[in-house]
Amino acid sequence: MTVETARSKKLRLKPYDGQALKRLVESGLLWLRTNQQTVNALNVFPVPDGDTGTNMTLTMTSAWNEIKDSGEKHVGRMAAMVAKGALMGARGNSGVILSQLWRGFARGLQDAEIIDGPGFVRALAEARDTAYKGVVKPVEGTILTVAKDTAAAAELALAATRDPIAILEQIIPAADASVERTPELLPILKQAGVVDSGGKGLFYIMEGALRHVLGQPLDTPLATVQPLSALNLDAAMQQVEEGQDYEVVVDFFPDAGFEVNKFYSRLEQMGTSIQVGEGDGMYRMHIHVPLEKRNEPVDYIMSVGTITKVAMENLMSQMDGVSGKSKSTKLELATVEPGQIGVVVVSPGLGLSRIFASLGAAAIVEGGQTMNPSTQELLNAFENLQTDQVIILPNNKNIVMTANQAREVTVKKLEVVPSKSVAQGLAAMLVHDPNGDLAAVAAKMSAALKTVKTGEITLATRAVIIDGVRAESGQAIALLDGKLVNAADSVEQAVLDLLKTAKAEEHELITMIYGEDLKAAQANQIADLVRQAYPRLEIELQDGGQPHYQFILSIE
Amino acid sequence: MQVVPSILVMEGKEYADGSGLTRLEFYARLPEFKSSPTTAAPSIGDFSARYRRLLDGSCDHVISIHAAEALTGIAGAARQAARDFEGQVTVIDSQSLSLGLGFQALAAAEAADKGLEAALSSIESTRRRLQVFAVLDTLDYVRRSGRIPAALTVFGSLLHVKPMIELGNGEVKAVGALRTTKKAEDRMAAFFHAGGQMERLAILHTGAEDRAREFLTRLMREDSHALPREILIVNVTPVIGVHVGPNGLGFAAVRA
Repeated sequence: MTVETARSKKLRLKPYDGQALKRLVESGLLWLRTNQQTVNALNVFPVPDGDTGTNMTLTMTSAWNEIKDSGEKHVGRMAAMVAKGALMGARGNSGVILSQLWRGFARGLQDAEIIDGPGFVRALAEARDTAYKGVVKPVEGTILTVAKDTAAAAELALAATRDPIAILEQIIPAADASVERTPELLPILKQAGVVDSGGKGLFYIMEGALRHVLGQPLDTPLATVQPLSALNLDAAMQQVEEGQDYEVVVDFFPDAGFEVNKFYSRLEQMGTSIQVGEGDGMYRMHIHVPLEKRNEPVDYIMSVGTITKVAMENLMSQMDGVSGKSKSTKLELATVEPGQIGVVVVSPGLGLSRIFASLGAAAIVEGGQTMNPSTQELLNAFENLQTDQVIILPNNKNIVMTANQAREVTVKKLEVVPSKSVAQGLAAMLVHDPNGDLAAVAAKMSAALKTVKTGEITLATRAVIIDGVRAESGQAIALLDGKLVNAADSVEQAVLDLLKTAKAEEHELITMIYGEDLKAAQANQIADLVRQAYPRLEIELQDGGQPHYQFILSIE
Repeated sequence: MQVVPSILVMEGKEYADGSGLTRLEFYARLPEFKSSPTTAAPSIGDFSARYRRLLDGSCDHVISIHAAEALTGIAGAARQAARDFEGQVTVIDSQSLSLGLGFQALAAAEAADKGLEAALSSIESTRRRLQVFAVLDTLDYVRRSGRIPAALTVFGSLLHVKPMIELGNGEVKAVGALRTTKKAEDRMAAFFHAGGQMERLAILHTGAEDRAREFLTRLMREDSHALPREILIVNVTPVIGVHVGPNGLGFAAVRA
């Protein structure tokens, strides 16, 4: 579907130099950012901490910041800058792999002044190779496969044309098809009913570049209606644009003849950050509008359907409230002296940060909401410690890669103890010996990871059947060591079911760490229920303050 | 061998260690005391009187061996008293506690009929081969007693941990923090087996004899060859117990 617009004709005449690449990177970033929530919603598990979209957007933003003021014309040098920015800003596994793709892409263009067809194809091949090499156990049906299929499509296209724009036009549909195929390659995607989020993110970046060439807009998502449970309105709070004063959410049943595209265009005239979700015939519309337009969405929707609920929120006062949440509580971190080992811990909540500090952590990196720390943020945490021996506890499987990346980049001696949960991180912290030998202590900590079972309780963001467990949207679900094991109608029941599945009676101690979604009183009630059910076990309740997960449990 | 008892002060009353309350009763009541019991060293006068009595009797020389000076004032009081008995009393810092001290005293007593030099060198030899480990059930009693050795502040954690310590060279060293009893015992067993053949062994506990017996059974099952024939199971004196709390478990071993 090649559309020869005036714009693309113009671009065919330009040299495809560093400045052209800069515009394409910007476009990729913008289009990805616009569709960020869609990517976040592609979480395999129906848990509310989907962050691939956010992670990849932030990684691209870091790359953009590296080049945005540059007038560099040499495309190889520009690509190298992009790769550097992506490397330092990489967050989450998807962000790290994306930065590896850029690294390979830059290597392929190293000595080139401009991009031509063969150069483009070579760069895509290098990108693929570098990304595959950077992953210890490459898995098909992920962003890696999409990169591979894209490179293959480019190779094919080169047989018919040497024009990089023409090649770009051909690889986008191939990338799209590759993304759609990922559930065939990775069974858990099929079970969850989603395509691979990292692959989708990569697709958006490339599609953004093409849309720029074709003169298509990058700031409004295509008129898509998401499943109701995928609407991520919390994250929308983090992106309030200037001039928008009110958030308006309207639930309605549309009349016959309702057209999504027309609906969207009308809304676009009123405000921004538009999301439309649908569930069981009911639609939910979300929009940010300026003060003077605050009633327009409701008035309009009344003309196309029957409204059942309206919610309006004053964004400015919300934002002030949000920034008022003090991060100024000082933690008593351990001081580290030269020759000692400093431990850097990624913690999702203030209470947990306090606990880790009390166990001797030298630095805490906050990994809250959907934001994973970037390579740079991890480096900042330990570069100023008075020692060159550092251990990182990522406490999340999505941060392990970023930690390893920090290891590549720092001159300090860094060991990553690959903790995949806070419960594992605590177990590791307990065997820490600041005066020991770095490799030996890291080995002891790594061995300690296996001595606890991790339980996580949250609310399902969508209906799903995974590994034989069926969950409805909004139910409380339990994960045991990262695997979905139970669904129940209440948090208490989910906790009890999880403990039964985990054979708690064969253990000795259950540490229940409650998150910010639970009040202390509720947490205490649930802990008491657990004590009644398991009178011979020791039950310890701690305030972790983590978002999304009502409980994190350590069973040992 | 003679014992000069330390003093235990419980709910306002003074008890000489070893009289007035059995150890079993003490540990059973420990968690219920309204105010934490305190301890006191014997006075200089107590030591003087004892040295006098022994030297006036049938002894030529007294070896006065006591708990680690870094942890308690007992040896200090003994040294003061010994100054009045120039050359006749040798005060020794065992650099240990409980049976760590006890085994040194035992070795000296066994060598005593070979003369003073032999007795002193057997103390030296025993101390060099001594290993004492213990795991406390909780940090609460250490905190309450106000006597937190700097080493244990490492465990100032919001999580409940069972601290594991090694006693050696007169000091308490933190060697680990465990969350469960099972993990604590596994770790202690590991330390136990790492030391090799033993000449003497005592399983120490604070009011937890069953636990001590089960632990010993486990150790014998895992490797009975390294164990000596005589093994003591000791309910540790309340004078130490008040600072560490009940249900503690440990061992004192003299390696071969």
